Amino acid sequence: MKNLLLTTILFLTFISCSKESKDEVTVYTTVDQIFSEPILKDFEKEAGIKVKAIYDTEETKSTGVLNRIIAEKNNPHCDVFWSGDPIRAIVLKNRDISIGYDSPIAKDIPEQFKDKEYYWIGFSARARVLVYNKKLLKVDEVPESIFDLLEPKYKGKFAIANPLFGTTSFHFASLFSTLGENKAKALLAGFKKNDVLIATSNGDVKKRVLNGEIACGLTDTDDAFTAMKESKEMGIVFLDQKGIGSLVMPNTVSLMKNSPHNANGKRLIDYLLSKETEQKLAISSAQMPLHKRVKTSTNVPSLDNIVPMKINYEQTAKKLEEIQGYLKTWGE
Amino acid sequence: MFLVVLPLLNILFDSFFKEGIFGLANYLEIFNKKTLILLVKSLELAFFVSTISTVIGGFFAFFLTKTNLPFKNFFKLFFLAPLFLSPYILTLSWVDFFVHFEHGKAFIYSFWGVVFILSLVFTPLSILVISSGLSNINAKLEEAGLMMTTYQNVVLNIIFPLVKPAILSSFILVFVLALSEFSVPAFLSVKVLTTEIFTQFSAFYNYELALANAMILVFISIFLLLSERAYLADASFLSMGTKSQQSKIVELGSAKYPLFMVHLLYLFFSIITPVVMLSMQSFDAGWAYFFQAINLLLPNIINSLLYATMGAFVLLLFGFVFAYISVKEKVKWVDILLLIIFAVPSTVLGIGLIKFFNTPNFDVIYSSFWIIIIAYLGKFVFISHKLIGNALMQIPNSLEESAEVLGAGFFKRMQKIVLPLIADKLFMVFIIGFIFSLGELGATILVYPAGSAVMGIKLYTIMANAPQGLVSAMSLVILLVTVLSIGSIMFLYRVFKQILRFSLST
Repeated sequence: MKNLLLTTILFLTFISCSKESKDEVTVYTTVDQIFSEPILKDFEKEAGIKVKAIYDTEETKSTGVLNRIIAEKNNPHCDVFWSGDPIRAIVLKNRDISIGYDSPIAKDIPEQFKDKEYYWIGFSARARVLVYNKKLLKVDEVPESIFDLLEPKYKGKFAIANPLFGTTSFHFASLFSTLGENKAKALLAGFKKNDVLIATSNGDVKKRVLNGEIACGLTDTDDAFTAMKESKEMGIVFLDQKGIGSLVMPNTVSLMKNSPHNANGKRLIDYLLSKETEQKLAISSAQMPLHKRVKTSTNVPSLDNIVPMKINYEQTAKKLEEIQGYLKTWGE
Repeated sequence: MFLVVLPLLNILFDSFFKEGIFGLANYLEIFNKKTLILLVKSLELAFFVSTISTVIGGFFAFFLTKTNLPFKNFFKLFFLAPLFLSPYILTLSWVDFFVHFEHGKAFIYSFWGVVFILSLVFTPLSILVISSGLSNINAKLEEAGLMMTTYQNVVLNIIFPLVKPAILSSFILVFVLALSEFSVPAFLSVKVLTTEIFTQFSAFYNYELALANAMILVFISIFLLLSERAYLADASFLSMGTKSQQSKIVELGSAKYPLFMVHLLYLFFSIITPVVMLSMQSFDAGWAYFFQAINLLLPNIINSLLYATMGAFVLLLFGFVFAYISVKEKVKWVDILLLIIFAVPSTVLGIGLIKFFNTPNFDVIYSSFWIIIIAYLGKFVFISHKLIGNALMQIPNSLEESAEVLGAGFFKRMQKIVLPLIADKLFMVFIIGFIFSLGELGATILVYPAGSAVMGIKLYTIMANAPQGLVSAMSLVILLVTVLSIGSIMFLYRVFKQILRFSLST
């Protein structure tokens, strides 16, 4: 009996040992699995390279995967980090966990969507939008600016996700960058005074608006378009098109330093940055291509038709670090 | 235990560093009014949850173990169901239920909403722990008591003192679990110490400060254990029945059907209501979401069942070894060490495992499913050791001593005396280990090797932006797989016992 047990354990250990295969690549991504997994499976089929992926969860709000990469810094397993916004990629750059890779596929992506040393390259952008429930807000009642949410008629009727995490943190940092500290703090204080509801995540904001618990909420375009697919009662609006503009957030890819499969990582990055990938993400989640002349469907917004917020991503990432203590206090 | 202890010692050491300087800076930083308020709130939450769970769990444990209640086995299995669903999913379904009522939203998104959900989640654990204690009581003691007095007095003066260790164990286990629970308070926007730990990790990347906060939970848990040990130190434990004697079953008489209805109502309330909510969302658009859910989860089901089974065996093995050392060899530090490990929040355990095992020397472990098994061991070995320890406490030392005098070695004594006497308890521990391993996410999600996700992880990762119906359907599929696998294990065990009894009698 003892011998059988020992043999079983040794056998299981043997078969469980990971063999470093040349034909594989490991990607960690904060992009929702429902959108990212099909892309990765397509790459697997086309390139013949096995993809091992780790996805982030709703609960950890795009930080779970990032924390894992940071914790694994001294012995990395991840080859490519695919992020839903540039902030996480900049965190890795600042911690010397990623390296620059100037992908030839990204030549026609505008320079403002790339790191100067190519530590991250952007593609397929989302934007921050206001999603609203048409049963609770008529068309002429829908806010057009983020500042409209300070009006008494919206008291207790709008929601945002926790500003410490995810794209909401990025959004608030960009407001600080654009408006300056005093105006941004006044805006946030106004939100609090107007009884803003702080939801746990963008998905929670979407759900509460969909269920009619709340009239409107700030979220990302992919959440908003998913909501519109689920219900005809949902509408979206790009705020401040006559003012500061809407925050545009590209997906980003980064190559990890000392990763086990560097060459395959570069191939995956090239694939993710391709027009074909942008087209797929446009169809699945209304993400806006950064390449020119990518065919999409009519429901996908175009960057040509949106007034974007004028920010520098590196500076915004730095601003986020500076204001996090304030955001924590504000959220309590 | 170096597999778990060393990683935790590693991160405990890290908690004394702030910006590279050794000292108490992190600990001094957390001693402020805000942390105190969060701590008090966490303790209040844990106290209410553990009290409610133990009282309700004790009530049902009694009737399921000691009476002739109809359909007991059915209730025993399905009362466990809240343990099969992640607390996060249960929370989602209850939120969807309560928002339909006028004050429902205000209730569920509050401290009492968290207490409500966690009590539902942990009551099954209390039922298991206390049932286990009740089933080991020697029937002769009760019969002797009944010759002299009423059954109510027998319950108060014989049964209750004997089952006290189990009741206390239940209270402490649930207390520590509730204290370190993160997902439910986070979802319902109730700030407690674990949400603060998560914020320090995830928003500020301040691991050392998060670890210092986590140490508060550990110290409280140690205090609880020491108090339990002090309280039970003088308690005498009479022998349990031999393997041929069954626990005394009380006839309920006219109270049978009213009590049956009470059990049915609780079942309806605790599991049928959330399952109905999940089903309504799943089948809103016909069967499409359900089939999509099966398709998505199919690659992960085998991983889940394999890891949970291995985890359960490992927990049983280590739980027995530590329980024996602690109870029979009187090695006291084992309890404290295991409790420290148990009290560490899952996120902290996960980070500790990564930092320790993610090296070229340990890559064979870190890159394989064994890192997941180690995470299960760290999280749950305290529970298995506690439950087995309670059973071992009821076996008098004289049985083993007599066998030893007659020349029986250690393994012979285990084989012929100890293991047969606690076989049912060991099986219960295996089931609990299986359930917890199957549902563990906090540490697993940080350490699982890429490409080896289990069902729960798949659900959590798909959840972001998947339609509500699909998420609900996936939850139902997970629930179904869990119930079927546990039901199968229980059936196989009964068949095994029948075969064993038959072979021994022939």
